[in-house]
This record gives sequence, C-alpha cells and structure tokens, in this order.
Amino acid sequence: MTTKAAPSAWRDPVALLAAPAVIYLLVVYAFPLLWLFMKSLTGPGGLTIQPYVSFLSDPFNWRVIGNTLRVAAWVTVVCFLIGYPAAFALARAGAVLQIVMLISIILPLSVGAVVKAFAWQIVLRRDGIVSQTLVGLGLWDEPQRLLFTETGLVLGAANIFLPFMILPIYSVVKLIDPRLSEAGATLGATPLYRFSHVTLPLTLPGIVSGVAFVFSMSVSMFVIPSLLIGDRFQTLSTLTGRSFLLMRNEQLGSTTAVILLVLAVSIVVGSTWLARRIGGSST
Amino acid sequence: MTALERVSQYVVWFIAGFTVIFLMTPLVVTVAVSFGSSTVFTLPPPDWSLRWYERLAGMRGLLPALVVSLQIAAVSTAVAMVLGTLCAIALVRGRFPGRETISTFLVSPLMLPGLVIGIAMLQGFKAMGLRDVYASLLVAHVVITLPYVVRTVVGALSLFDFSLIDAARTLGCSYSAALTRVLVPSLAPAFLTSGMFAFLASMDNYPISMFFTDAWTKTLPIQMLQYVEERPDPTIAAISAGLVLLAIVALVIGDRLVGLRKLADF
Amino acid sequence: MPPDSSTSDSFLDVAGAEKAFGGVTVLGGVDLQVAAGEFISLLGPSGCGKTTLLRIVAGLLAADRGAIRLDGEDIGARPPHRRDVGVVFQNYALFPHLTVAENIAFGLKARKHPAAEIAPTVQRFLELVHLTDFADRSVRALSGGQQQRVAVARALAVQPKLLLLDEPFSALDRKLRENMQIELRRLLRELGITAVFVTHDQDEALTMSDRIAVMNKGAIEQLDVPSTIYRSPATAFVLEFVGLSSRLSGTVVGQDHDQVVVDTAFGPLRAPGSFVAGASVVLAVRPERIKVNAPGDYALVGRLRDAVFQGSKIQLHFETQGSDQLMVETADLSDGLPPPGTEMRLGWAVADTLIYPAP
Repeated sequence: MTTKAAPSAWRDPVALLAAPAVIYLLVVYAFPLLWLFMKSLTGPGGLTIQPYVSFLSDPFNWRVIGNTLRVAAWVTVVCFLIGYPAAFALARAGAVLQIVMLISIILPLSVGAVVKAFAWQIVLRRDGIVSQTLVGLGLWDEPQRLLFTETGLVLGAANIFLPFMILPIYSVVKLIDPRLSEAGATLGATPLYRFSHVTLPLTLPGIVSGVAFVFSMSVSMFVIPSLLIGDRFQTLSTLTGRSFLLMRNEQLGSTTAVILLVLAVSIVVGSTWLARRIGGSST
Repeated sequence: MTALERVSQYVVWFIAGFTVIFLMTPLVVTVAVSFGSSTVFTLPPPDWSLRWYERLAGMRGLLPALVVSLQIAAVSTAVAMVLGTLCAIALVRGRFPGRETISTFLVSPLMLPGLVIGIAMLQGFKAMGLRDVYASLLVAHVVITLPYVVRTVVGALSLFDFSLIDAARTLGCSYSAALTRVLVPSLAPAFLTSGMFAFLASMDNYPISMFFTDAWTKTLPIQMLQYVEERPDPTIAAISAGLVLLAIVALVIGDRLVGLRKLADF
Repeated sequence: MPPDSSTSDSFLDVAGAEKAFGGVTVLGGVDLQVAAGEFISLLGPSGCGKTTLLRIVAGLLAADRGAIRLDGEDIGARPPHRRDVGVVFQNYALFPHLTVAENIAFGLKARKHPAAEIAPTVQRFLELVHLTDFADRSVRALSGGQQQRVAVARALAVQPKLLLLDEPFSALDRKLRENMQIELRRLLRELGITAVFVTHDQDEALTMSDRIAVMNKGAIEQLDVPSTIYRSPATAFVLEFVGLSSRLSGTVVGQDHDQVVVDTAFGPLRAPGSFVAGASVVLAVRPERIKVNAPGDYALVGRLRDAVFQGSKIQLHFETQGSDQLMVETADLSDGLPPPGTEMRLGWAVADTLIYPAP
C-alpha cells in the first residue's frame, strides 16, 4: 500500500464508506438533539433562558436534582465497592470460576432493564429474598419492605449497573503485568504498599471508565425508578417522562431533558479528559 | 508465600461467589416465580405450576407486541449491520482526519440518556414530517443498534492482521477473493455476535421506544410495563423468563462463535 | 578472586532445592554456594531450571524442599519483600506510571528510607548508569538499553545483599549487550554486591562470571571458574554447551598407566583417565588445540570438507563418519583457504584430550 502522508478526506475514497452511517446519525439523531437544545432556549420573544431560570428557582426542582445526583452517587459507590474487588476476583479466578462469573455478568446485560427492574420488584418485597436473607442473618429483627424506598432503589440499580463497573476495571486489570508486583516485592514493598503504589494507579483508567458509565446511567435511568420507587420520588428522568407522557407539559419536559443531556455530556467529556490525563502517565 | 496464596484463593472465591449470587438473584427469582402457582410473588412458591405460561397465549396484546419487537429488531439490526460495517471499514482502514471524533459520535447513543434521545427524536421526526409510528420506531432503533455494530466490528477489524491478505495474494488469490476467503471468515464470528447483541438491545429498549407507540404499535417492553401497571402477576415473570431464555441462547451462540472472554471486552 | 567455595558459611547457601510442577521435576536437589562479592552465572538451555532456581532464591516461588541461607540467616520462609534480594527481570518490569527517577526511588520509599536521603541516592544511581538527563522522563519513552539501565539502577539503589538477574540482556543487540556487560560488572564491583546471573548465552557467562554453574535438566553439572569449565568440562553436556569441540566415538581397548587407549575411526587414540575395556566412549578436543601439519602426539590424516573464514581465524571441518565431528580452529591464515578435499595432517596433545562415556 502507499506510505504517503495522510490524505484529506477528499482524497481517501475509503472515507466515503463512513458517510452513510454518519449522515444517517446526523439527520436522525444529532439534528433532533440540537433542535431540542435550541428549542429549549427559544421562547416567544426569541433566545431566552427563562424556562431554566424558572425551573431552577423552584425548590421542588432542586430536590429533584438532588434526588437524582444523590441516588446516582450512592449507586456508583455501591457498584464500586462490590465491582472493584469483583474485577480482581475475575482476573484471578481459575478457568471454571471465570466462566461462571462472566456468565453472571453478561447474561443480565443481555436481558434488558424492564425484566431486571421487574425482577427487583419481586426481590425487594417485604416477603422477598433480600428481606428473608437479612432476617435470617440476624441483621434485621423483622421482615421489611425495601420496595418504594431509596435504599431499595439504590440496591436494585447497583445490581443492574454492576456489570458496567466490573468490565472496564477488569479489562484494565487483565493487562497489568504480574511481574510489576513481583518487582515491587523484590524492592522491599509490602503487599499493601504494592497494591496502593503499583496496582491501584494502574487500574485508574478502568476506575474512571466504570465510574463514568455507572454514574451516567444512574443519572439517566427511567424504568428502574419508575418500577422500584414510584411517583412520590422524582428524579430528573422520571420528571421528564411524566412531563411528556402524563402532564403533557412539553416545555417542562424539554427543559429537564436538556439539563439531563448537559449532565450526561459533561460526564462523558469529563471522564474522557480525565482518562487521557491519567493515560498519559500509565499503561 | 504459599500461605498468602492460599488465603487470597479463598478471598477470590468468596468475592466471586458473592458477586455471582448478587448478579444472578433477580433472574433466578423471576424464573422461579414464573413456575410458581401463587398469584402473589412469594418464594418458595407453595406449588409448582405452568399456569402462567399457559396464560401467555391468552394475553391480549402480547403476540402483536412480540411480533412488532421482533420485526423492528430484525430490520434495524440488518440496516445497522450494513451501515455500521461500511463505516467500521472506513474507520480502521481510512486515513482521514477526524476518525476518532466520528468514532465517538457513532458510539455516543450508548452514552447519552435514552429518554432524552427519545424526546428529541419524537419532536424532531414530527418536525421533519415523519408521523408514522412504526416507521419512526424503525428509524429510531437503527440509532440504538448502530453503536453496537460499529464498536464490535471496529474492534475485530483492528485486531485483524492485514498482512494475511497480502500473503493470500502472493499465493494466487485476487484481492476480492482474498477478502472473501481470509477476511470474511475471520471476521464472521465477531460480526454475527455484534448482530445478536444489537438485536437484543433493540428488543430490550424502553426509554426511546416509549415515545413511539400507539394503540396498534407497541414493542414488547412497553407491553410488559403496561401489564405491570394493570395487573401485576407472575405472567410477566413468564414473559421475562422467555427473554432470559433468549439471552441464554444468544450467550451460548456467542461463546461458540467468539468465546465468552471476547464478549466481555469492553 | 573466588575464595574456596566449599565453606559452609558462604554468603548465599542454597541446599537441596527441589521443585516439581505437576509431576515434572524442574529442580532435583540443587546445591549452590556463593561467596560475598562473587558473580556467579547459571548457564543452561531453556527448561534446565535456572530461572526456577532464581525465583526460589528471590522468594517469588516456593521450593518443595530445600533451605536458603543468606548472610547467615535462613530466608527460606520469608516473603520476597523481606529477603533483601534484588531482581532484574528479563522484561525489565519498570513501573509504567512512574518516571525514571520515581522508578529508582521506589524501593527506597517502600523501605521507608529517610526522605532527605532518597533524592541524593537516586541522583547517584542515575549518574552511575549515565541517565541523569532522563530523570523525569516516562519510562515508556526509553529505548531497550535505557530501560535496562533503569531496571539495574532501581534494583541496586536499595543496596540489596544479593542481586539476581534473569537474562537481562537477551533483548539487546550485540554491541549494546557487550557494553552493558562491562558496565554491570563495573557497577557490581564498585558497590561490592554479590550477584547471580541467569543466561543461556555461554559467551556472556564466560565473559562476566567469577564462576559458572552449568545447569541441565534441573541439576548443576559443573560449578567452576570459566577457564576450567572451558578446558575441562566435567560432562559431555558441558562440553557441548560451552564452546565448540571435535568429538570422536570409540571403544576402549586397553589401559596404559594413566591413559586409556581407544579405538576410533581414525585409529587408536589416547586420553587421560581410566575406563573399563570395551566401554563405549567419546573423545573430545577443543578445536584450537588441534594443530595442522605440525608435530603433536598424533598424526591423523583428515580430508577437508569445508573451510570457513571467520575474520580472525579459520574453521576447518573434516570428513567423518556417523556422529563424529572433527574440526580445527587456526589463526594461521598465511596459506589462505585450502580447497575441499585437501588432505591434512592433524595432531594434538594427549593431555588436551577429553573423554566421556558414550550417551
């Protein structure tokens, strides 16, 4: 093949192959999003941020935003506390155990939010499995209902999003050269020191990726809170959905939708920037 | 040294066991409930029965919703595979600026809230004059499936050693024959697997699909949610169990084609 | 020079190290004693157990049986981070997320050296390996040779009692390798650090070592100074693994005082030693000990098959039967390269003849 300097898109015919997909997405996906964004800034008198101002001046809405961020934060924390060790366990597991773990991670991913959210409805009931287990372990005096509570929501969402924390971290842990820990040991580092100074820094890109995924999905989740916590607890997503489907308040819906969009985009951009900064000094 | 090794083995087993149980519990519970005889979701059920599965045939709207979901998934996946493969070739083999931007752009629907995308599409399609619900669903689902195809095919193409094509040509194949006999078989597993998971993603989708529905056109997840709101009973568990079965089949095929570890590549 | 290696209070004393993996014996009861300040090479083909032995000494692998004593202390039960044994890995194992200076400082920080001492120590070792300008560079930007030097500096910065090196130069090209060999010896002598060096390259072992342990199939076949290993290989394996040789098979026909008489394809030849009459043996001589057309203890006539020009010397290969090999190395180029088929008279001293049981 040729070894000339990279030609511009006009001279490289292979580039044209990307055109159908790109044009399709631009028309069907990017344009509507832009349109939504622009419309939310346009009022009867032209460009305005009035809808946002009135949205943000209502304390109820601040509670909604607070709910959204708080739940997302908790879900991310729980996912991390379980997922980080799980990623290592997955990397260290023997062949059979690894397959079992991989199945348990990938299968739920392939099933879909509605099925899983519904499943958690069953699990979180007063007579459900979580309740029975906790009573059995002696942590609870009597069976309690976790459904329609924030704790139940966090638990259910963490369960559903856990694969998205495990897999990115696992993909990074896989790549860590075991000789590095050995080298650390021969230099006199205790196992704890080796973990905190060698392993942990090297897993940072995976952590950033996993946290970004889970936090972003938790902020955006709609079906899960709808089924697990009901209408009394509003997040930005459920508020948006209700605005459009129930209240027929397109103005409100657009405003909250754009806020959600901006949040999601900032998480993506922020994590990519962070990953690049870390990636510059590690694997 | 071996003492530390033995302890860490136990720890690995403990964490792995907990994680597996934690992740599988919802699915296991659902399937168990679907085989129980009581209308309430108690476990263990008082008796085993297939009554909920028998009710499936009589559920109003279930079959049409299933058909709609399957059709939409099949067509949108097919379209996505064509568009996505062409695009993946351009991204891997092309030498033009902005490849990384385009790549991120193509995968972005996975990262943004489906709800917002759904709303934007709803209003955008109306503004562009597209009012037919079925067609709108179709157009929207291509956006859902495309990222899966692009990401997987780009990954597989990046790993493909193109010097194999050169080797085939020195052994007497024409360029297109080399592609057919070397590239296609090598890529086929990843290609098929990406199609399968794109299909599943379309079948499972709710946040975007919920904006494109009317009395005659509902996808399966929307229909299921309706059942949950109207009359929650283990029939829904039976439907869920069916979807779990579908996912298991996809997993087995995927493992045969590319292996579980490849499926886990993020 | 190396002191008497049979003292039981050697600096490093490995006794009876055994290791088997899944029923396959990788190390079968190996003993090794190294004196303080000595440079010992473990030389052998892949699979001979040299890396396994190294990892056992480092504590990265547990032996099935055997004791390890370092500087008078039993370290066999200690984890690697408490053995004070440094390792330079074959693939360097530099920490990719740290700079050159941070890599070198790693051991010092991990061992909680006083902060004020760390920077000067790092600086000193940067200078010792000539990498002062690279202190703040990421290690991924370095060439193979530079990475190698960082790996060595990092291991030495903590002044371990023992330094183990696992084929550290195998990925470098020849010129660089030779430079690094000299540099390493200089550094180790300057710092007075004892070293065990694993390699499969016999030239490397011969050049660098105070003593060489030639290993094969999990056992040390000979442990001695390089000149003895070369001139008096203890077994046929050592003979073949280290250096070139001419080998003639034959049968013992008699014993004459301290020499055996062996019947070979070239007639009766003698070697120092004693064997039972009728035994199958192999006679060997180093190629540079054979003289062409000059008086020696023998007068063999060989028919030339090949003459190979090697710059400073010529290798002459002669026609032989079966598994025999007859080759001569000579620096005498005055007659130029003789053509194949030339008959030449070859001779060598009985004292230079080696004899081994036939395999």
